[in-house]
This record gives sequence, structure tokens and C-alpha cells, in this order.
Amino acid sequence: MKRILSYGIVRGVIYQLIGTLIGMAFLSAIRLLMGLELLLEPALVFGGAVGALAFMVGVGAFTDWWRMAMGQPVPEAHEITEESGAKRYFGVSLDHKVIGIQYGILSVFLLMLGGAFALLFRVELAASGLQILTLIQFNTLIGLHGMVLIVSMLLGGAAMANYVVPLQIGAKDMAFPRLNAFAFWLAVPASLLLVSSIFFGGWETGWTGYPPLSVFGPLGVQMFFLGVFIAGWSSIIGALNLIATIVRLRAPGMNYFRMPIFSWGVLATMIIALTGTQLIGLSFQLVMFERLFGMGFFVPEEGGNPILFQHLFWFYSHPAVYIFVLPGLGIISELLPVFARKPLFGYRWVALSSLGIALVGFLVWGHHMFTSGMEEFLRVPFMYSTLLVAIPTGIKFFSWTATVWMGRLRFPVPMLFILGAINVFLLGGLTGPPHGTVSTDLHLHDTYFVVGHFHATMFGGYVFPFFAAIYYWYPKMTGRKLNDTLGKIHFWLLFPSFMITSFGQMAVGLLGMRRRIADYDPAFNFDITHLIITIAGFMIAFSVLLFVFNLFRSARFGEVAEGNLWNSRSPEWQIPSPAPQHNYETPFRVVGDPYDYGEGGDPRYVDFTPEVSPGD
Amino acid sequence: MEYGAMSATNQDPPKRIVIASANPLFGRGLEKLLRQRWENQALEIRIVNSMEDTLAALEQWQPELVIVDYDDRTIDRSEFLGHFMSGESSMQVMLVSLKASGAVVVYDRRTLSPAEMGDWFSHLSPSTPVEVPEFVLPRRDGVIKHYLIVGVLVIVFTFLTFALLMNINLLPAQASLEAQTVDRLFNMQFFAISFLFSLISVFLVYSIFVFRKRNGGSDEGLRVQGSNRLEIAWTIVPLAVVLFFSYYGSQNLAETRRVDPEAMVVEVIAGQWFWSYDYPEYGITSTTLNLPVDQQVLFQMTSRDVIHSFWVPEWRIKQDILPGENLVKEMRITPSETGEFKVLCAEMCGGAHAYMTSDVRVMEREEFDQWVTSQQAAAESDPVLLGQQLSDSNGCFACHTTDGIERIGPTWQGLYGSERQLVSGESLIADEEYLHTAIVDPDVHILEGYAPNIMPKNYEQVLEEGEINAIIEFIKSLE
Repeated sequence: MKRILSYGIVRGVIYQLIGTLIGMAFLSAIRLLMGLELLLEPALVFGGAVGALAFMVGVGAFTDWWRMAMGQPVPEAHEITEESGAKRYFGVSLDHKVIGIQYGILSVFLLMLGGAFALLFRVELAASGLQILTLIQFNTLIGLHGMVLIVSMLLGGAAMANYVVPLQIGAKDMAFPRLNAFAFWLAVPASLLLVSSIFFGGWETGWTGYPPLSVFGPLGVQMFFLGVFIAGWSSIIGALNLIATIVRLRAPGMNYFRMPIFSWGVLATMIIALTGTQLIGLSFQLVMFERLFGMGFFVPEEGGNPILFQHLFWFYSHPAVYIFVLPGLGIISELLPVFARKPLFGYRWVALSSLGIALVGFLVWGHHMFTSGMEEFLRVPFMYSTLLVAIPTGIKFFSWTATVWMGRLRFPVPMLFILGAINVFLLGGLTGPPHGTVSTDLHLHDTYFVVGHFHATMFGGYVFPFFAAIYYWYPKMTGRKLNDTLGKIHFWLLFPSFMITSFGQMAVGLLGMRRRIADYDPAFNFDITHLIITIAGFMIAFSVLLFVFNLFRSARFGEVAEGNLWNSRSPEWQIPSPAPQHNYETPFRVVGDPYDYGEGGDPRYVDFTPEVSPGD
Repeated sequence: MEYGAMSATNQDPPKRIVIASANPLFGRGLEKLLRQRWENQALEIRIVNSMEDTLAALEQWQPELVIVDYDDRTIDRSEFLGHFMSGESSMQVMLVSLKASGAVVVYDRRTLSPAEMGDWFSHLSPSTPVEVPEFVLPRRDGVIKHYLIVGVLVIVFTFLTFALLMNINLLPAQASLEAQTVDRLFNMQFFAISFLFSLISVFLVYSIFVFRKRNGGSDEGLRVQGSNRLEIAWTIVPLAVVLFFSYYGSQNLAETRRVDPEAMVVEVIAGQWFWSYDYPEYGITSTTLNLPVDQQVLFQMTSRDVIHSFWVPEWRIKQDILPGENLVKEMRITPSETGEFKVLCAEMCGGAHAYMTSDVRVMEREEFDQWVTSQQAAAESDPVLLGQQLSDSNGCFACHTTDGIERIGPTWQGLYGSERQLVSGESLIADEEYLHTAIVDPDVHILEGYAPNIMPKNYEQVLEEGEINAIIEFIKSLE
């Protein structure tokens, strides 16, 4: 028992359970004292919030801050040598590499969970009629699929950023290691709350949570709101930390245009996450309060306006898709030169296009609302701003194409995923403009065409690059390579299957298949296409299972890879794998350009010799 | 890497050597080679890694040989050479560049003391081997061939893709004037998609096959850092295309919103999970949408509960329907084809969202007129139907529901025959007489839980006796 309790996560979950019960009891007692009837909903929401805090206490995320508050000595993060071993990964660790891997594990877990939800409703959709699910189960599953995977993508982006950025910029750790651990652990109770919604009646609105439907629906929607609210905190804090790290902790000589391009992607992402996430938190909080206290924000009968919610919601949720894809696009730009053996074409343009996407991304939210009934004159300016996103995105595509042109391409597993990512993201990107022009969107809005488009951008911009990043940096994490054969099977199953689901979804969507319906009219003749999509969906799931199997197997039996196996210029590959606890024993200086590959390229990017002061 | 050969004309090794490079490998590698070349001889070798250190070493230490890393940007070569020229002592300078391919480029430069000027030429002996750098010229002739092939392939694939998209019935049938407008924009979009998809994919796939690393070939690609001119080009050209699409899109949108003052008004009421259509011009209500062809319809839409969305795929255009009296949304459609279609709710509205559909029949004008007449006649002969239409056109449903939900006024569902609790404490059975009183003089009986002075008291003037009875018949039908 004592041994089990020494795992932070176990303590956290127990504390969360107890905290939730105490919170519920406390609120119920107050209601009793006030002579009010006992209600489950307010007790559960209050208990959920207390439980999440209790988790943080239990896992130990507050311990050091408590000591500081009490005036006790607390060592600096880089003075601490943590015990190596698997246990580090199940409790609070201050090492950014451990936290990165923790993010990664939780992200992959949620990826599988969210994918499993999709498989359930894909089985339901494989034929017209209702077969295995009830309507409320179906509605809950589509909402959970969406939000669980959104959280998974947020965590996956954080995983890559946490692990890679400090290594690439030559930092010993993140700017605020304790805050970093805090941000990660906050995501755990948030995920638990989110998934718990399924046990409280589920909810009906899909991931968007539009009122008035969300105001009237079952209780589960509150757990969904609370989970997202807390995950939002995690995201904001993590973003703050990464921005501080990138701005303050770069190695000497690393000016912004000598920074690895992935860090540019992360910087742009985190600016969005730091400044936009508040809006989704706020919009969900307002609905929570409308339900709990009867505040009439969005229900017209109570003086509210349902469109207001959509503005608040999309003000974050559109830029949020760039939170998911910008790190992924950074990964593409980062790995492509390594495997094409050519400098990244137009480094500065690619770097600044990430910022461009981030900034324009804040001006386009209205394109989700062309049919919503907002003021009609708003639709045209939002059309202009939306289509503008094509320009920085185009710069990336053209620059990638120019990077591989006349290269010396090699095709190890990460490169396969990078090329797959470019192709899938191209499909997602090009199906965007028909949504951007208003009149075509009036047909496409809320159809499966949106579903196809959206999944293509997410797979191309996040899923494929995420897998590429794991295949690429896994040796850096473990000192061993992921199995090549399994990796290739993974790719060759995933890529065509995904293309099939995507084309299928777009085809039925154009012909009139609505989003979020549990059943469709057989007269549409969609049955065959839906069956094919479902089968392809299962192949995707199978390929991901292979990948997870590979992750576990190769950690033990993988081919040992301790050196610079990709022949990369990046500093993290100039030190042995797995990377030492505080990264670089000798700090490095930057003396060249990060992607100076190619015939006659300057061999040096970073220099590890200590700088000699004059007169030595 | 035969660095030693450099000094082959001079059998005595230089005594003091400075190696200037920020790269530790460069310095240590050279030092090792020099020591191998002059084994057993005392060499003093200093490795410096910055400009200041190099100059300091030159002045204070007077080395005989200086080896400078040609590629090191931290060492300013011109400043270094200038300094070196102004010095007086005799020393030899070599600029050395290491190539990734293993080749070594040596730029050998010497300064001689005046005494040595006489036999200057002897120092230019051919035995000073200077390896010619292996410099890879851009493969010009090949490049043009590549661009030609790719250009042709892009054009071919663009048209193949576009032809494919045009021939597989991507969109549902076109059954309204607005659909024709929207589809024109769709086709332009499909062409742009075909072109851009082919452009990037062909370049990418071509590179995958042609520029892959081959056995025996070079390991490294062409060292091209980028091209601002190209980047500006692929910023400006897409910008122009985007502005064109936005402008054209605005025109296209305006065209779909063309207003016909003669448009027929249909009031659409959506709720969980039903559709209802009122024709105020004809005083009829229907649960199916019946329309004449080639006549613009102005839909005025409102929702009873949550957000719904009105969509007939064959008409293309879609509009969300919001609850709230001040949020009635309008949409104009001109059906151009007769036939049967379906209205689909396109906005998630909970539970049976999937099943929230209703039938649409678009017919010739005469057929529509017949339908209107038959509906009106049916309403006259059927007091329940008439009562429903009267209730609707008189706004009863703003406060009273027919589905059991309590609003400002009591629901009509199950009202007839139920026991009503009054504020005065007594209770009544809601019979026909009670209902009649409640309509013409609503404040006679105030129900428990409802406020007085809300319902209008003028229905006796507005409605005829037969009409009041029809409404009562309608209420009676709602069990």
C-alpha cells in the first residue's frame, strides 16, 4: 500500500475522489442550513472543482510552493538530481524531458480513448438505422470524441514543445520548472472530469456546447465544461512558461533567426494559447453559471442572446485549430531539411508565416457563423480575413516544396510521416476556401464536408507530424530506435486509410450528409460510403495500436541508437542519448545557421567549446 | 588530409603555430596532423577561437605559421589580413576550409621579408600542393528539364482532377435559382483545388522519385538557402487570387440574396423535433412544406426552444433558426425545379436531431393553388384544424404550448377535462364553458402559479363565436 501511495498519480486520484466528496458534502450542508432543497448539480460542480484542487495537493504539485511560503529552503530545479527509473514518470518531476514524456503518454492515452469513442459511433453509422447506440449515447460520444481529442492534441503539442524546445535552444530546463509540472498535472484531473461526464447522463451538444441546448440538457455537460475549463488553465500556464523559455533561455548567439524553426512554431502557438484560451473558458463558465444560478446570458427568454456565446466560443476555438497545427507544421519544417539534406527554403519566411497564421487566425472566427444569424453584413469582412489565412499557409507549402526540390531525399519512418503530413494537410488546406467563401459555406456548413476538411487539417497538421516527432526523437528519449518495420506498416496503414475516410466524408457531405446525426435516410444511398469509412476507421485504429505496441516493445528491445542517427545539425543530437538530466554539461554557443545542409554547407551550427576570454 | 605537405619545401618545421578557429574539432584535428608530420620535433601550437585572441597571439607571440579557419565567421578575415600585412616579421598564413565531402580547400598566402624578395619565385614552387576544392555547380541543364517535366505534369493532373470532380456528381441536384449561383462559385473553387493540389503534389511526388538519395551519389542536396524573390512572388500571387475570390464571393452572395417584392411569405416554426409552416397570406398551417415553382419564397423563421437550422440540400442555402422573438431570421429561396425534397435540421438540437426532417413538395402554380384551396376547405370542415390555424395566427402559441411545456400561460396539452387549481383556493374542472370564459375573459379564473393581466381581453371582439369554438375543439383534441 505504501509503495502504491508513493506514486504521485495514485495519491492524486485518491485525493481527487475524497476532495470531490468533501466538496459535495460541504455544498449540500450549506444548502441544508439555508433551507434549500438538495440538488445534485451544484454539489457536483463544486465538488468537481474542489476535487481537481485536491488532486494537485495529492500529487504534490503544491508541495514546494508551500515550503517557500513557509520560508523553508527549496533547492533550485537544476540542483536537484532525480532518481532515474520509471517511477519518475508517475509523480511530480521538474525535468522538462520527463514532463514532456508525461504529456506525451497522457496525450497518446487520450488519443486512443477519443479514437475508441469514434469507433463506437462509426459502427453505429456503418449502416442507416439505429443499431447499437441510443440517441443520447451517440450524441455524448461525438461530443466526447471531439473534446477528448482536442485535449489530447493540446497535450501532444505541449509534449513536443516541452521535450524539444529547451533541448534545441540550449536551456537546462524550462523557465519555470515547478509551474511546468503544475501545468501538466492540472491536465490529469481535467481529463478525468471531462471523461466523467459520460457517467452523469452525458450531453447532447457536441464539443461546441452551444446554448440554449447546453443550458437545458443533461447534467453531464457540467462535467464537460469543468474539465475543459481546467484543461484551459493548464494550457495557459504551459504557454506562459514556453514563451518565457524561448524569449529568455536561448543559447548565446542564438538570435531569433538562428532559432530552430520548431521553436518558432511553438512561440506562435503559445501566443495564441496564452491570449485566446480565456475566451473558451469564459464562454463555458457563463453557461455553467446560467445553469447553476439562472443568469440569463444566452437564453432569449431570460434576456440572453445565443449568438453571443458563438462569438466568445469561436474567438478561441478558431485560433485553437492553429494551436493544434502550428507545432505540427513546425515539426514538418524542422525535419524536412534533415531528410532532404537541403537548407530549409526561406527560413525567415517560414518562421514569420507561423506568426502570420497566429495573428490572422484571431480575425477569422466569424466564418464559423456564416449561417448562425449574426448580423449579415459581418459575413463579407470575415470572408476576406478568412481567405487571407491562405497566404502564410501557402508560404509554408511552397517553401516545403522548394526544400525537397533538388534535395537528396532519404525515407526513414519519420520522413514518411512528414511527407504524409504535407499531403494530408494539403487536402485539408485546399478544402478550406469553399468554407471561407460565404455562399458555398451556406451549403457546406454543418455537413460531413466540414468533418472531412477538419479531420484532414488535424491529421495533416497534428497527427502525422506528432507521429513523425515521436519516431524522430524516441531515440533521444530512450537511447533506442523504434522498430522500422512496424513503423512502416503503421504509416502504410494509416495514410491510405485516412485518405479514404477523408474523401468519403467529403463526398457524402457535399451530397447532403449532415453532421452529428445518429441515423441517415437510406434514400441518400450513403450506406456503402459510410461502411467504407467505418472500415478505414478501424484500420486507422489498428495502425495506432501497432504504434503503441512499438512504443512499449522498442523501449526494451529496440535497436540501440545513442549517436546522431539522423545526421542532424540540431544541438540535441550532438550529445549522447538518452539526454542527460540537465541537458548540456557544457553550454553551447551558436556559430552558424540551423539548416545549413547541402553540398558545401557550413558544418557547424553550435559550438561546445567554452569561450576563451582574451588574455588567457 | 595531407596538411603536412604544405610545408614540404621547408624541411624545418615552423616553431610557433597559431590555429584560429572557433570550432574545437578543427583546431584539435590540425594540431594532431601537424604533430604527426613533424614527429619528435618541438612544436608550439596555440589554438585560439576568437578574433581578439588571434590578434593578441600575433602581436605578442610572433608565430611563424598561422592557420585560419576560412569558414569561421567569428574571425573577420579582412581585418585579420590587414593587420597581418602591416606587421614586419616573416610568417606564413594559410586559410583552410573543410568541406563536408572531405575535400580541403587551402588558400595559401605568404608575406616575405624584403631580403627574401629575390627568390620570391622559388617559393611558388609547384610542390606547394593546393587542392582544388570540390565545388558543385548547380546542375543547370538538368534543372530546366526537371521544370519542364513537372510543368507539363501539373497541367495534365490539374485537368484530369478537374474533369474527375466535374463528372462524379459532387453536389445534389440543382433545384433553386440560388443553387445555380452557388454552384458557379463551387466550380471555381473545384478548379482552384484541382490546380493547387496538382501543383504541390506533382512537385512533391516528382521530388520523391527523382531526388531520392541514390547509392553512389552525393549524400547532400543543393545548398540553396531560399529566394526572397520567389517568396514575394508566392505571397503576391496568392494574395491576388484570394482578393479575387473574396470579391467574387461577395458578388455571389449578393446574388443569392436577390429580393423579389412579390415573394410569398412562409413562416417557419422549428422545435424539438418538428417543423411547422404557416402561410399567413392563405391562413393555413402545414407540417409539410408545399411551394409553387419559380416563385420566390421569403421564409421567416423562429424556434420554439433551441437553435435549429433550415436546409434543403438541393437549394444549397442554409440558415440557423434561433429562439427569441427578436431573433426571427429570414431567408429567400426561389425553387426552380418541381419535385419532392426534404427539409433537414442542420444544427445539433439534441436527442432526435437526426430525425428532424420534413417533406417538401415543389409543384406547378395551378397544383399549388389547388392545394391551398383544399387546405382552406379542410380547415373549414374540420374545426380542429381551423382551431389550430386560428390559435397560431392569433399568437396563442407565444404563451401556450401544445406539448406540455409550461410557458407564460398554461400548456394546452391535457388541459381539457383536467382539474384546475385557482388562486382563490377553489378548483374547477376545465370543461368547454371554462375554456370559453378563459378565452374571452381570462382574469375571471386566475390559476395557481400564473399572473393575471397578461392575456389580452379582446378575443370576444377579435374572434367570431364559431372561431372561439374551433379553438376550443383544437384544445380538446390535445390530450
